[in-house]
Amino acid sequence: MTRYLLGRLLSLLLVLFVVSVVTFVLMHSVPGGPFDESKGRLPEAARANIMRKYGLDKPIYVQYWNYMKNALRGDFGIPYQQPQTTVTALIAKTWRITLQVGAMTVLLAFGVGISLGLIAAYNQNSWIDSFVTFFAMLGFTVPNFVVALWLILVFAVRLKWLPMGGWSASGDCLVAGRFFCSDWIMPVVAYSLIPMAIIARYTRSSVVDVMRQDYARTARAKGLHERTIMFRHVFRNALIPMVTALGVIIPNLLTGSIFIETVFRINGMGKYFVTSIFNRDYPMIMALFLLVAVLWGVLYLLTDIAYTWIDPRVRLGAKGGNA
Amino acid sequence: MTSASASASDALVQPAKASNQRTLWRDAARRFSRNRLAMVGLVIVTFFVFLAVFADVLAPHPYDKVYFERVLLFPGEHPAHPMGTDEVGRDYLSRMIYGARTSITVGLAVMAIAVAIGVPIGGIAGYMGGFADWIVSRLVEIMTAFPGILFAILIISVWGGGITKVIMALSITAWIEIARLTRAQLLSLREKEYVESARAIGVTQRGIIMRHLIPNSLTPLLVAISFGIPTAIFAEAGLSFLGIGINDPFASWGKMVGVSNSYVRVYWHLALFPTLAIALLMLGFTFVGDGLRDALDPKMLE
Repeated sequence: MTRYLLGRLLSLLLVLFVVSVVTFVLMHSVPGGPFDESKGRLPEAARANIMRKYGLDKPIYVQYWNYMKNALRGDFGIPYQQPQTTVTALIAKTWRITLQVGAMTVLLAFGVGISLGLIAAYNQNSWIDSFVTFFAMLGFTVPNFVVALWLILVFAVRLKWLPMGGWSASGDCLVAGRFFCSDWIMPVVAYSLIPMAIIARYTRSSVVDVMRQDYARTARAKGLHERTIMFRHVFRNALIPMVTALGVIIPNLLTGSIFIETVFRINGMGKYFVTSIFNRDYPMIMALFLLVAVLWGVLYLLTDIAYTWIDPRVRLGAKGGNA
Repeated sequence: MTSASASASDALVQPAKASNQRTLWRDAARRFSRNRLAMVGLVIVTFFVFLAVFADVLAPHPYDKVYFERVLLFPGEHPAHPMGTDEVGRDYLSRMIYGARTSITVGLAVMAIAVAIGVPIGGIAGYMGGFADWIVSRLVEIMTAFPGILFAILIISVWGGGITKVIMALSITAWIEIARLTRAQLLSLREKEYVESARAIGVTQRGIIMRHLIPNSLTPLLVAISFGIPTAIFAEAGLSFLGIGINDPFASWGKMVGVSNSYVRVYWHLALFPTLAIALLMLGFTFVGDGLRDALDPKMLE
């Protein structure tokens, strides 16, 4: 187990190294940097000065080495788009909003997704089952920015029930016994549809699978109440393969926020990601890419660990494991 | 399965002899045509492919013709523009039709490149094993350690947009999946009894590959391709939606959705038509893909 984890950690580090090198080299192969002539002509001396200040005149491997040395200490440099702050400060300002959106999305997706999957499995081959299956396919197929615009067209433009966009990060609308702000509803719903569809699909097939197992049949033969069988025997075991659903959901969550934040004009990391690319803001792009790569790798590792923890039958590193 | 696919490979090599037999392909075609959703999907996809191919004939206006005096017309406001006009006065129906061409082109081109690169590389890795396999496996591991669309965004942000660059950026990640699948297929096929016996009776390497390995790994590959096309279309729409995909004046549904976001409060038609088109095309491809999977691999059905 320990050896397996060490191996995984090493390969994670290798992947991060490759991702950082590739990103760095790509970013620096851009024709036209942030200080090129398109935004007004600079005197040659001033240009050279700026290049020296940002270290852009050194060979690329030196630049990479300097960058990574600082990055490991939490210093990702200065964003070209807002030179008065640091990349770290800018990310610190925006990650909270993205995390809020993400956390609510995960809650909604799991709550509704598991319920839908359970209902579908319990009413196997009925019209409810077909409806859930179709809904899952719809949710999985239609891009979230498309759903987001439909929600805006119906609930903001037509019915005028909800605001077009924005995000009350401080939650100051929560006074007077309200559980959510009205501008939270559409982003979270649109964002959660894909993970919800995945979860509903996994739950259904997993529960159907467990219901056919011997121990479920034994429980029924013993004359246990249907509800007891469902919750004590079936559901608990059906949850185990759900961990693999996480592996499918994580990438969707990580990339989905870019689109959702753009549609709803939410000032989170996803939106800064897009503006950074438009402004060729290397330090910001580098930092965000590294962050995503680290998050991605760590989340996958945690998923694997959770798998053994929940299901003692799974042995990591053993032959045939999900390495 | 073994006998069915063996006869299928015979049918591929000698189609004349097997014309009256029940082949895997004929069975699959029958199962596919009986699947109602798959047929609906096929109709949708055919419709959009038709639009894409005959866009020049079907579109009432050129996609880039600007009518300065007819900016942001609603559908039906002017008889010449049944879907209205966009924010600079271009006919929206024509742009929708050319948008189908963009989507279909990107989807097909990306998968064609992915297959052209992924199948040989995955095939070599799976069949030869050893060092080639090690290299390909590490490459796959590194490439899957990062969300594909993010990688495409990164590359586009460096190269700039445009349909050729979008296709190239998406192909860079798309071939990985094809290579992974081909490798896994060949790894398991290599150990099958009929391949072993073919080797034992002295069939040449080439014969084994052409007659057993390729026909038998074709079906999962076909399914992967049918799901890969909508993935590429989705990615193009996403990139263009963010404003870094297809460049003006070319039409792309994703870009039309992205632009419409600023006008949606009043000019609802700008958002409605391209979102419907994207959703329909994605659904169509998914129905076809699901239908193909069920038709080609009867073992999956319970």
